[in-house]
Amino acid sequence: METAKKGFNWRRFAIASLVLYIVFLIGPIVGLDIPVVAAAIKANPLQLVQFLIIGISNGAIIAIIALGYTMVYGIIELINFAHGDVYMIGVFTSLTVLSVTGTLESKDPVKIVLGLIFALVVAIVFCAVLNATIERLAYRRLRNAPRLAPLISAIGMSFIIENIGLMWAAQAWLVPSFGTTGGASQKVFPDMLGVLFTSLGWNINLLASSGLALRLTIKDVLVIVLAVVLMIGLYLFVQRTRLGKAMRATAQNRDAAKMLGIDIDWVITATFLIGGGLAGAAGLMAGLYNNTAWWFMGFRAGLQSFTAAVLGGIGNITGGMLGGFLIGLLASFSDGYLNARWTNALVFATLVLILLFRPTGLLGEQTGQKA
Amino acid sequence: MKIMRSGITFGIIAGLLTFLFGGWSVAVIGSLMGVGLGMGLGSGLERKDPFKIAKDVAPTAVVAGAILTLLSLYQNGFVQDAIGKQPAQLNVMIFGNLIGFLGAVLFTTLLAGMHGLPEKQEQKWKMILLAVLVVAFPFIDKLTALRWTAQIIFALIFVILGLGLNIVVGYAGLLDLGYAAFFAIGAYTTGILSSPQHGLFMNFWLVIWIAAAMAAVWGFMLGAPTLPLRGDYLAIVTLGFGEIVPVLFKNLIDVTIKEPLTCWILPGIIRLFGGETTMACITLLSHEDLTAGEKGISPIGRPIIPIINYEFESSNPIPWYFLIIAIILVSVFIIRRLRDSRLGRAWMAIREDELAAAQMGIDPVKTKLAAFAMGATFSGFAGAFYAAYIAGIFPSVFDFSASIIILCVVILGGIGNINGVIVGGLVIMTADRLFLPALKDFLASLLTHTVLPSISDPVVQLAVKDNANPILYRFLLFGLTLVIMMAVRPEGLLPNAQVRAELHPEDNSVEAATPMAKNSSKG
Repeated sequence: METAKKGFNWRRFAIASLVLYIVFLIGPIVGLDIPVVAAAIKANPLQLVQFLIIGISNGAIIAIIALGYTMVYGIIELINFAHGDVYMIGVFTSLTVLSVTGTLESKDPVKIVLGLIFALVVAIVFCAVLNATIERLAYRRLRNAPRLAPLISAIGMSFIIENIGLMWAAQAWLVPSFGTTGGASQKVFPDMLGVLFTSLGWNINLLASSGLALRLTIKDVLVIVLAVVLMIGLYLFVQRTRLGKAMRATAQNRDAAKMLGIDIDWVITATFLIGGGLAGAAGLMAGLYNNTAWWFMGFRAGLQSFTAAVLGGIGNITGGMLGGFLIGLLASFSDGYLNARWTNALVFATLVLILLFRPTGLLGEQTGQKA
Repeated sequence: MKIMRSGITFGIIAGLLTFLFGGWSVAVIGSLMGVGLGMGLGSGLERKDPFKIAKDVAPTAVVAGAILTLLSLYQNGFVQDAIGKQPAQLNVMIFGNLIGFLGAVLFTTLLAGMHGLPEKQEQKWKMILLAVLVVAFPFIDKLTALRWTAQIIFALIFVILGLGLNIVVGYAGLLDLGYAAFFAIGAYTTGILSSPQHGLFMNFWLVIWIAAAMAAVWGFMLGAPTLPLRGDYLAIVTLGFGEIVPVLFKNLIDVTIKEPLTCWILPGIIRLFGGETTMACITLLSHEDLTAGEKGISPIGRPIIPIINYEFESSNPIPWYFLIIAIILVSVFIIRRLRDSRLGRAWMAIREDELAAAQMGIDPVKTKLAAFAMGATFSGFAGAFYAAYIAGIFPSVFDFSASIIILCVVILGGIGNINGVIVGGLVIMTADRLFLPALKDFLASLLTHTVLPSISDPVVQLAVKDNANPILYRFLLFGLTLVIMMAVRPEGLLPNAQVRAELHPEDNSVEAATPMAKNSSKG
């Protein structure tokens, strides 16, 4: 900061240009070939808008999962590694509920809507309870252990849940097969919203009549609206209600909150319940939107959401939402213009860069020692 | 009474293991059980006259051996029938059980009795006995046709990996979740330099050093920007690198590098101002396939012993076994010297309290970087050996789960303790490579011959058949290992006294502090 006052910082400029040069030199390996990307954008500018829409919709789902990370980190400073896998369980729960209630075969709009609402409720409740159970079994007794112990426990939990997902996917009576989309354990999640809107006689593409080569589907709108509603609800909950205030107090200073008569265990359990419930809702939304169910999907989603949480400033709910949308856009543009196989690496690179240069994230406060 | 209980437990576990392997396995299992039981019993007893100890543990040894033999005989008589196999031949049955029983009794009393010797001598004799067993193992394995050596080699590879990770996690206290990346770098360096793919047939004895150096350099390069981060953030960033590296190896199949200034920046600027240009574009690499992607690199050159001109073969695991044992011995030697050196003590100081260590004149960044680079070096050795042994490397081997398995090795065995890591590696990898596949075969044949015919409902039958495959539950077991160890015994099976004192502050009194100085020079 002090050198900046003395005028132009040549050293910094030299380092920046060197880094930029290396990015331009090595970038094409990961698809970051600027002339090629520029040509692709020039050839079809509308595609940019298309990727924007996809990015925001996916970002909405990422943001909801990110809220779970950010709330838990805010309150007990633990990266809940298993959170992405709770979301994966949410996808499978809703798929199983839809299959067991017969919604998947139904063509009756009323029945589909009721089935979807029921699946949403079950997924939320199940994932909330699962997340709270994880906390009870794996994290609670480690609350005063050295910092890395609960993280290792969380990784173990993530493995356990991934394995449960793998077994779940293999049970033909729980997860019906509609063909596979990738590997053998990757299942198709039927496009129930598409079925619903065709049975109502609506065109699923809202922009079909405009004549543009763009797709803005009702699914996109629904996902974004649901996500925004959940986020606003959560924000109001944390700001206005008694439990929300107790959560913020616990996050600020656990011991002081305890002295003031707040039941810390219950507050933490409630945090995990809310986070898990959000992950369950995200699970159903993602299943309906992306139409796949895979036992390993929680890893990628977890990585992207954690990055989103860090990008927004971990512990900060508004930041988590903002980060979610940004990471969704990044992933969508990377999928579209660079190469899908590098997206994960790119998201991770973003995470590393944020942690190195702005560990407090976009909206996080300065917390000194934290990073 | 307590020693009798552990004898019975050991006997039952060992006996049940013979169910899975059958044949001659009882002889080997019995002897190994004797070694384990003897060591365990010995360390729990007071130091007194060796013969007296031997006399005390003898009944336990006999009971354990007898349980083992009974279960093994039961296996031969009834279990083999239930899984639809022929019982073993009479001579195998008689001699196998006899050797198993005698081995169990002999080794139990011998090793427990050694505890009666003065400490220096006890160490010496135990080392000699262990050395004899380690040397004899592959030959016994070959004689008894168990074919365990090939799998034990995998376990030993993970022992080296665990030893390397132990430097980073155990000594320096940095949680590295992407350690498999360095393993991959070592393996791919070996693959690229010694496979016919790129026409470089470098000698293994040279390549193994290049691989280790390469891994160290990458450890340094990946560590340098990330080490300012604290605890769990560092863990996530290393996880990121651990994910990116296999993705790189998977996707570096069509690499084109064009120099950007000449190819588009300068021409672009010139065109922007309305000029015309025909600048030559410098192309450094054009559609180069570096790693062969998912197909993997195969074959890979094998080590050749120079003077007698013997080339290692994949059909004969015994030379590989001794090679990896040699690598482990060298590694253990280096790591022990490192640990007791100025650098090693600096690592532990950083682990205990970074701020205080910095005040005492330790440069935290340099020290941590050294830990990263040293840890990576050993995985470079392991990677080179692995690539040569498997003679083919594929990117999927080095993914996140590999890093976590190595972490499991360190945590199960005991963070910061060399012996613990060796035991942890052997336990985890033999469970993964020997026990689970054997259990799978056992369950599968038990189901088809005994259980499934008695189930009438075809849906249930199919469900049982599909799910009774323990290999499907690998991740569950690794996850459970981590969760349970963290909850119950975070210091590991064979803890480092310092780490234990840190993790159990409540009994951090004189009692916990005194054996620390003694143990840390030993463990």
